[in-house]
Amino acid sequence: MIRMLPKTRGSSTLLHITVTILLTLALLAALSQSLASTEPDAAVWNPVASERLIKLPGSYLKKAVENDFAASRLAASLRDTESLMDLKAQTLTDLQLAIEAADGDLKTELRHQFLAEKRDYLELVGRHQDLRRQQVSTKMRLYERLLNKLGREEAAMTPERQALVESQEDARRRLERTISKVDLKLFSTPMTGQSKYAREHAKNVVAIERLLAAIKSHPMSADSQINGRPVTKQAYLRQLVGETQSEIAIIDQEESILGYMAKLVSLDAMALSDLLTGGGEMAPEGEPEAVGITAAVEFFVP
Amino acid sequence: MKHRRISLPIVLLGLMSVTTAAQAGTVENLERERALALEASLSPDMSPSERESSMEVSRARLVDLERMVMRDGSLKGRNTPAVRNAFQNYDLTFLVHASIEKNRTLIDHWLEQVGVTTNSLMSARVGRR
Repeated sequence: MIRMLPKTRGSSTLLHITVTILLTLALLAALSQSLASTEPDAAVWNPVASERLIKLPGSYLKKAVENDFAASRLAASLRDTESLMDLKAQTLTDLQLAIEAADGDLKTELRHQFLAEKRDYLELVGRHQDLRRQQVSTKMRLYERLLNKLGREEAAMTPERQALVESQEDARRRLERTISKVDLKLFSTPMTGQSKYAREHAKNVVAIERLLAAIKSHPMSADSQINGRPVTKQAYLRQLVGETQSEIAIIDQEESILGYMAKLVSLDAMALSDLLTGGGEMAPEGEPEAVGITAAVEFFVP
Repeated sequence: MKHRRISLPIVLLGLMSVTTAAQAGTVENLERERALALEASLSPDMSPSERESSMEVSRARLVDLERMVMRDGSLKGRNTPAVRNAFQNYDLTFLVHASIEKNRTLIDHWLEQVGVTTNSLMSARVGRR
């Protein structure tokens, strides 16, 4: 609430600043209403731990998750909240400058507005932290589900299956050693040339090797790496889980900071309230003075 | 009309499953061709030259089929009895490659693998068990 102040010399500039600040506040209020759909309960992100995601290389997996998040309503809510926070921070800066330049009742009113804006700013920061926590928790659950899926695939490799795979590998190596000898013995005569399957297979092998070499040298096909060292998909996912856990710890710490800032705002509000009710910077301690009836005697004694 | 609309996809699904069941895998194809090759080489009805030309054709086909089995990625870790037996018995499954590796003819190699050798035949006796 702004009281109309009498025009004094030099107060027109302060009045201009005050009007500007009030208009900004009105705009912010309108923005807040229009962004009512970005309330936390409307902000969702439901990524799916699909087979396709597991098969992606490590760097692709992280980017795919980030792109999926960027397209979600949760990301939109985060962006909107960040915009509001930026605007609110600008308002706080403007109010701070105005308070320094103001005096008297205007300064008191501006201090009151400053407190209100700081409270609103803290609410925005709190909402932003809730949304960030939601994002990071969802990401961590996704990575854990992917790790569980990878673990299930490995568990499906029973000792029997493992023995079969080893015997298949042994058979393949043994056959590879005899291929040239077999080709020499069977296909050396003009009557028994290479079959169509053998010719087409040889052509396809050359093409496959060229394509594999191109894939390997492609800059986007880097294997999962941690600090430049190639690692397994599981180790990479565990690293990602660790990173999200540390993000949650940082958010916890920022919530403590928010708590301290809120406490300071309430102390400032108490101090301003004292100033407004006590008639001075600090009301004197002790019992309030009793209104003495003797002071009214002067009205009755001629 | 509604029944016709619903039943058509079901019929198509049924046809697809029948088609899928009729296809044999690479291991089954190899086993069938190997059985035909062994039957021809043991057949008393063929002359030596007929047997030789039949074996030449079978060997070329068997080489391709053996290599197809080895290169079939879908068999990796497929723990079925047929696949397990095929890879546990390399010398019996990949007859052509194994016989050339050991510098033997196909039939000699097979007979040795099933335990029919000159020594075992010479020491065999006819009698009651």
